[in-house]
Amino acid sequence: MPQTILSVVLDVDPHSARHLSDLIEAFKRQQEEEGTETYGRLKDGVPSLHFLSMSVFQGAHYDPIFVIEANFDGPPAAFWGHVEATLADRLRPMLRCCKRPADNDGLAYDAVTKPDSRAPVVSYLQRRTLRPSVFHQGNRGLERDRILRERDLFLTIRDELAQASPTAPDPYRAIPAEQIHVRLRNAMLRLFPWLAEPAPPRISWIERAADSCRLLAFLFATFLCLSIPGMAVAPVTPAWRFAVLTAVLAGLVAIGLWSMHRARDGEGVPTRSGGLTPASLSVKNRLTSFAHPVTLVAGLLLVVALYVVVATVIGSVFTMLITGLSYPDSVWPTARVVLLGLASIAFTAPAIVLWLRWLERRDSSHDEPPVDNELLREMARREDWIAQNHMGSVVLVKPGVLRTILFRAGHLGLGLLLRAIATDGYLGSMRTVHFAHWAFINNGSRLMFFSNFDHSWGSYLDDFIEKAHGGLTLAWGSGVGFPPTRFLVLDGASHGRKFKAWARHSMAVSRFWFSAYRDLTVDQIERNTRIAEGLRKTTLNPQEATAWARDL
Amino acid sequence: MGARSVTASPVKERPSWRLKPPHDQQTQGIVVSGFSWLPAGKALFLHCDGLETDAGRGLWLQTLMKVAPVTASDGKPEKRAAAIAFTWTGLQKAGLSPEVLATFAAPFREGMYQDDRLRRLGDKLKDKWQEPVIDGGPLWSGNIPAEDELRQVTTRTTVHALLLLYGETVADVQVWGEEVGLALAPHGMKIVHQLALDLQFDEAGIGREHFGFADGMSQPIPFGDPDVASEDTVVLSDGRPAPRDEWHGVPLGEILLGHTNAHAEKAPGPVVRDDKFARAAQLSPQGAPEGFLNLGLNGSYMVVRELRQYVARFWQSLEDNAARIRAHDPSATHVTADWLAERIVGRNIDGHLLSPSGLLAADEHKQPQNAFGFAELDPHGHGCPLGSHVRRANPRDGLARDYASAPALLDSVNNHRILRRGRKYGATATDRRTDDGAERGLLFICLNADIARQFEFIQQTWLLNKNFATLYDETDPLMGPKGRFTIPEQPLRRIVDVQTFIQLAGGEYFFLPSLPALRYLSSSRD
Repeated sequence: MPQTILSVVLDVDPHSARHLSDLIEAFKRQQEEEGTETYGRLKDGVPSLHFLSMSVFQGAHYDPIFVIEANFDGPPAAFWGHVEATLADRLRPMLRCCKRPADNDGLAYDAVTKPDSRAPVVSYLQRRTLRPSVFHQGNRGLERDRILRERDLFLTIRDELAQASPTAPDPYRAIPAEQIHVRLRNAMLRLFPWLAEPAPPRISWIERAADSCRLLAFLFATFLCLSIPGMAVAPVTPAWRFAVLTAVLAGLVAIGLWSMHRARDGEGVPTRSGGLTPASLSVKNRLTSFAHPVTLVAGLLLVVALYVVVATVIGSVFTMLITGLSYPDSVWPTARVVLLGLASIAFTAPAIVLWLRWLERRDSSHDEPPVDNELLREMARREDWIAQNHMGSVVLVKPGVLRTILFRAGHLGLGLLLRAIATDGYLGSMRTVHFAHWAFINNGSRLMFFSNFDHSWGSYLDDFIEKAHGGLTLAWGSGVGFPPTRFLVLDGASHGRKFKAWARHSMAVSRFWFSAYRDLTVDQIERNTRIAEGLRKTTLNPQEATAWARDL
Repeated sequence: MGARSVTASPVKERPSWRLKPPHDQQTQGIVVSGFSWLPAGKALFLHCDGLETDAGRGLWLQTLMKVAPVTASDGKPEKRAAAIAFTWTGLQKAGLSPEVLATFAAPFREGMYQDDRLRRLGDKLKDKWQEPVIDGGPLWSGNIPAEDELRQVTTRTTVHALLLLYGETVADVQVWGEEVGLALAPHGMKIVHQLALDLQFDEAGIGREHFGFADGMSQPIPFGDPDVASEDTVVLSDGRPAPRDEWHGVPLGEILLGHTNAHAEKAPGPVVRDDKFARAAQLSPQGAPEGFLNLGLNGSYMVVRELRQYVARFWQSLEDNAARIRAHDPSATHVTADWLAERIVGRNIDGHLLSPSGLLAADEHKQPQNAFGFAELDPHGHGCPLGSHVRRANPRDGLARDYASAPALLDSVNNHRILRRGRKYGATATDRRTDDGAERGLLFICLNADIARQFEFIQQTWLLNKNFATLYDETDPLMGPKGRFTIPEQPLRRIVDVQTFIQLAGGEYFFLPSLPALRYLSSSRD
């Protein structure tokens, strides 16, 4: 089942910020009241909910903002219905601490916040909802109920295998894995009848196809944009002249790039792994992975060929309209323009990188951001109680036309890429992210990041620093004060300590945070699913059974 | 020595590492070696009752330097060696100003018993000391004042400094310790706690911890960069350049402050204002901001935890487990207490790694092999269990999902290594099944430049992580509280119930100063 990640961002009346935090804390206390299952009311009331957080971000540059972050199964409509029924009484006083929006939503705000109002609060929240620019879901496609059902199965199996009587012979010993499977399946089927049915697909083929098409469309659009200078010149330039011109310009850009490719003194962080560099391409990787050079080149050639065909077929229509030629006669001139345009990318892409590098060398970073000790203490006090932790961060975005375009396009591309390739529950070598997303707020001047992850905050950030610093630098590197970057993906987050300090100072206390499965890591959820999938099958062959039994 | 365990035979030496001048003269000897040629040792925990007016005059330290001069890492092995480290309150007593104290790393300033840290280290949760801590809570610490008084943890004994003495015989170290006590008494310094440390090798040349296992088998090996003059800091014992060790190489800045660390920056440490006292002590400006001198350079942070071991409980509980398993699975004749103990540790009793095809063969120095990863050798833990102590303490490349990502995972794990310098204390148990009531254990000591990223990370993310390596609801079988321990086997794993075998009796974070920093601390600065 597809899942939704969204956030609601509301400006807070600065005088009410403290009161708002108190209201959130009161809500937290109510959910943690003794005598009931912790967070049981929210868990039962909003049955699709995986994670939910409420935070108030205070900063030196803007009035406080109140952010509700939600990660749930299915489309938003049903979710909002449950939120209204369960949380409306709690949310309404919180909304009263927020500013009345100056745009068309003002009336909706008035309707839900006026004294004794019964108007549904979600009608307002829905209007103020933001969708992420980049997001990632570990355990994608596993709905909450399935995760909880499979946890029950796992625990029951553990008891079944645990031997109640210390002296009775163990029926699961001295038999091969296939028989363990059959015996366990028979025992579990009585308790978990759903094991008799096949598992619903985690990601439907329609969803997969749509994700691939979106990524392809993004790549085509990128090619097209980068081709524009070449395509503009192509109709009036002989091909050989065009080639010479492109080569000369590309050469000049290459000289410029070479002169600026090194890091400034003391700012280079050579890394052996985890980056988005040519070094991470290796023939050791699986051939099905784009990290294998052969696959990458073949894939790129295929995409380029497809682009040429699609661009020519569509472009010929325009050529026909502009020139009055017949469609067949328009094809070759169009193809020529498309091909020369593509060739000019040899100049345009490096030229953009050169411009970026020029900007990067003039960037200031924030090596020691000021931190509020009390705030740090409050964050630490709320961390490391259960298997997962939560973080929310808001940073300012670096200004400038190029930065804005690159940053937005980078987010779009990264987001589409993650959708298309990170489908096995993991994010590359990182196996600890449940739901994470970035979103632009305030006309793109600020960038928000939320994550629900396994283990400690320190280990999560270390994971980024050590295993995914390239992608992270791409996604976060345009934040004001980010450690010095090089070519958009190098250095940056590899400045481990500085990066951690920068990230920490941008965070707010996660005043309210709900997790629907407090003891489960991404890894454990996948393990439970593998066990359940094995048990759904009536028989396994010896190899399958051996692999399956390893997870028990 | 440095590359090797502290408890291994001096006979069959692997090539080791040492520091190049001038760093070797400035660094305490305990960093580069565990003084393995000196089998006797003594840990003296010092408390300063001195007058506040004495603060900053360093009189007691001057006296101490005469009676127990701290060993530098450049000399030949002598018959005696000493090392010293300070808690935050100890440095306060030594007269460092609040301005200087604020430049130390946060974990050191806050101490091991800061409320949130206690939870992360698995020592205390919701005001309740956890099972791996002795009843009533630890006995000693630096007693650093908490920011929030309501969350103050106070131990009976306040430790300001830890003096480690090493000698050839127990009697010599005993006499030396008494001399130190007498010399310090006039300065209001008291020895408030002491442990006799021991590093006896058996006939096979193996130093064993109290449960009987060879200890300290795997250590990080620091490297510098011979091509950059300022980074050319580490050489092999024979003077040849020390290459980056494929499995255990860490930049020197992971162990010593002021040197390049895993994040390609100089490991940050404390600084003091550039004045005549700091210059007289020969503190270096290297790595310090303008107007300051580097108090941290060639020093380190030292984590100390006094861990009591319950030998009879360990072996008795494993006997019970083995008997239970054999009772309901008669085919499991291989399951004995020894077999279970080896799985808990991950190595056999002599230190050889368990692997799916039996013990891993010794290396060319006839030492237990230490150049291996798990991704290729034992990805499923059928030899060395996924949750065994050695695998949790240093997962190497074993957390990789596939063989292709193993090098990246090894790199990432090596950003979290510690150099261990602990020794055991208390008499060896004569019968491992009988509780003789004697106190014994390990004085765990490790050096690292970033306590949070190294020691605390290992403790929290690996050792006590209930979800380590796709395990569920179990922690380190040796160090953690009682609970489950999974032993992967084909076709079906076994889960045994382990008890609490080790308890914390006291601990704190210390600053191990360089020799110039020690000179600065012992100078009269008023």
